[in-house]
Amino acid sequence: MEGSSRNGEISPKLLHLIPQGRRNWFHDDKTSVYNREEKKLELKLGPPGEDEDEDGSSLIRRIKTEPKDKCILSLAGNKHFSSSIITTNKPTSQKRNAPGPVVGWPPVRSFRKNLANGSSSKLGKESTSNGVVLKNQKCDDDDGKEKTKEPKRQGGLFVKINMYGVPIGRKVDLSAHNTYEQLSLTVDKLFRGLLAAQRESLSFGKEEKPITGLLDGNGEYTLTYEDNEGDKMLVGDVPWHMFVSSVKRLRVIKTSEILSSLTYGNSKQEKMRS
Amino acid sequence: MDLRLPSKVLEHIFSFVDSNEDRNSVSLVCKSWFETERLTRKRVFVRNCYAVTPAAVARRFPEMRSLTLKGKPHFADYNLVPDGWGGYAWPWIEAMAEKSPALEELRLKRMVVTDECLEKIAASFKEFKALVLTSCEGFSTDGLAAIAVACRNLRELELRECIVEDLGGDWLSYFPETLTSLVSLDFSCLDSEVKLSDLELLVSRSPNLKSLKLNRDVSLDALGSLLRLAPQLVELGTGSFSDKLDQEAVSKLSQAFTELKELKSLSGLWDVLPEYIPLLYSVCPGLTSLNLSYATVQMPDLVELLSRCSNLQKLWVMDLIEDKGLEAVASSCKELRELRVFPSGADVDETNVALTEQGLVSVSEACPNLESVLYFCAQFTNEALVTIARNRPNLKCVRLCVMEPFAPDHKTQQPLDEGFKAIVEGCKGLQRLSVSGLLTDKAFEYIGTHGKKLRMLSIAFAGDSDLMLHHLLSGCESLNKLEIRDCPFGDTALLENAAKLETMRSLWMSSCGVSFGACKLLSQKMPKLNVEVIDEHPLKTRPDSSPVEKIYIYRTLAGPRLDMPEFVWTIHKNPEIGVSNLAIE
Repeated sequence: MEGSSRNGEISPKLLHLIPQGRRNWFHDDKTSVYNREEKKLELKLGPPGEDEDEDGSSLIRRIKTEPKDKCILSLAGNKHFSSSIITTNKPTSQKRNAPGPVVGWPPVRSFRKNLANGSSSKLGKESTSNGVVLKNQKCDDDDGKEKTKEPKRQGGLFVKINMYGVPIGRKVDLSAHNTYEQLSLTVDKLFRGLLAAQRESLSFGKEEKPITGLLDGNGEYTLTYEDNEGDKMLVGDVPWHMFVSSVKRLRVIKTSEILSSLTYGNSKQEKMRS
Repeated sequence: MDLRLPSKVLEHIFSFVDSNEDRNSVSLVCKSWFETERLTRKRVFVRNCYAVTPAAVARRFPEMRSLTLKGKPHFADYNLVPDGWGGYAWPWIEAMAEKSPALEELRLKRMVVTDECLEKIAASFKEFKALVLTSCEGFSTDGLAAIAVACRNLRELELRECIVEDLGGDWLSYFPETLTSLVSLDFSCLDSEVKLSDLELLVSRSPNLKSLKLNRDVSLDALGSLLRLAPQLVELGTGSFSDKLDQEAVSKLSQAFTELKELKSLSGLWDVLPEYIPLLYSVCPGLTSLNLSYATVQMPDLVELLSRCSNLQKLWVMDLIEDKGLEAVASSCKELRELRVFPSGADVDETNVALTEQGLVSVSEACPNLESVLYFCAQFTNEALVTIARNRPNLKCVRLCVMEPFAPDHKTQQPLDEGFKAIVEGCKGLQRLSVSGLLTDKAFEYIGTHGKKLRMLSIAFAGDSDLMLHHLLSGCESLNKLEIRDCPFGDTALLENAAKLETMRSLWMSSCGVSFGACKLLSQKMPKLNVEVIDEHPLKTRPDSSPVEKIYIYRTLAGPRLDMPEFVWTIHKNPEIGVSNLAIE
């Protein structure tokens, strides 16, 4: 197979290409490989000793290999450990973590780990989706090319906005607005058509009514928002910049529902866990 | 004389070829077979979403109706893959919306799916029928509402162990009254309460509903009324099973269960109180699948339940079952094919010590069809593994997790090398293996020698040297996915066996001894691989000798991906940085 002959070709050259200092992990030195006694003695599970390799792993192993030499295979025999030594040391990764719980071990999904407490099935990893730009989606591309990821995620301050009666939410770039009035106009633009479509399907007859009075309580709908503390507020009460810095998402609700919507609070926070 | 079969005849013949493996083989025979096959393939599986571009898939399979995609590597399940790594569904959905608008089914696993994705699906695929998301994240219940309202022919909506931003239960109310086609609904991973009346209306107008998996918030009372509306259910996932009901409610619920004549699969059962276990007795004889892995029930109650499940083929349970409970399973559940035993404790120290290797031995002795095992246990012995291999040579999947890393055979203090040797030697059809406990290079020599059918191998805290990796890469002919963490490998075995990597889907190595220089070299030599170095804490300057945190290597036709976050490095990012101090021949 072409691959394996290429393998054979690569192998000796690659071994030489690895800088000498990096060969901590293995030796070509045959004598040390055959020295079983030395190997036994050097195997330690205690605190870092003179055998510590450059990664500082607290689990000390002297690594030896002689890949071309079959003999090593016959030498790999039984190691004698007492379980008490092993259980006193939790293994660590090479990142020099403090001994203790190891990430991802035991290999059990997060939601399984909290069942005994009777808590919700979804602790562990938090959703990376919130109303604003996802923090880890910065891409590092030297050309600065536009990524073909989500639309509208480059720059700007996007918050989600939902409207009563319209199942499909939208996003609003708050950094492109300076006043509440502008925001109100955008909301009208975003939802007027959708609302009409929804009404049409409920046989109200298709009429595209402008959505007005969002800020003063006079219209059929009112604009509200949820802030970074989870509180629900009417839009328009605080200075614009203060609003922008604390808003997490927007909701257009029916004006008649104001009282119940705003006093209900955050469903997640209020929820009593069984 | 032209001996080629006309394409119409070929098409007819290929219509009987279901499995994708067979179809892949068919497509390799000759050009005309390739063409006919690709024009007739309806179900497409892309097991690594970065191995090929969406456009290429759409172009090759114009009649595609069902697409299955997998994103993140398996170890993402255990939080080893940092957030933002990738696996975005959007490019696929966007491409298919344009090129394959007749798409009906989308099955995604370990991918990032946003509300935009769901809205796009709702808006673009007029005949959309099935959305199955497994271990996905990135969307909210708003996205579900979009699917509900727009997909007029929806048959399946399943959210399996997804992380969903739950904004409330009204998404369910968006299913229109005209939707009567629902066959399967699974919202078990959602947090908040849906309105019971919405759910009841939906269930009552869905005569084809076969599978219903509720979330924890659906009360026991509500369950009763739902079951009365859907006695035809084949799969049921209950909500919380712990509300206090009065006598009348209990007997009504019991009656509802007896009406479930078709029920084959039962799950959910969160917090099930022991006094409610008898409610389930009537469905037990018919069950082929039982998931008790959320049920914090003690052994005696489990035994009562399981001793009635004579047809059970699949059992998922917590280690609360103990050895004694597994003995009961062994004697009652002769049809058992798959057993998974999960730890009930939060970590290693809290493992239930009444579950030992003996439990698995008992089951392996008595259940002739047992072929798949996942077993978390405090400790194990070589003797047990040898016995299991001797009892069950037909095992196809063995995932043993000895909870304490480096734990030896607790009777002999030896490594578990000989035990796993017996497994790979005896179980000749073994396709998937996860090893644990104290293991030397010898164990992997055995696996390399005997594990010829092995496709997926997971290793943690094992081995002594590069030999381990070398044995595996050079010996395991069928190896497809290899995932390794915290093993003392260096660069040699990886570089020596570089060509092997092109024959595999992927290799994951984290907290091993692979150097940056080796990664660069590998990238240079193997252009058909994406060699991703994942380092959340990179050194300011990365010398070639520095070890990398994690590497993920996969073969690809798509070249470097465009959506890499900062913490993922590939050689394409800094092509001007050559392999320093190394002479390229």
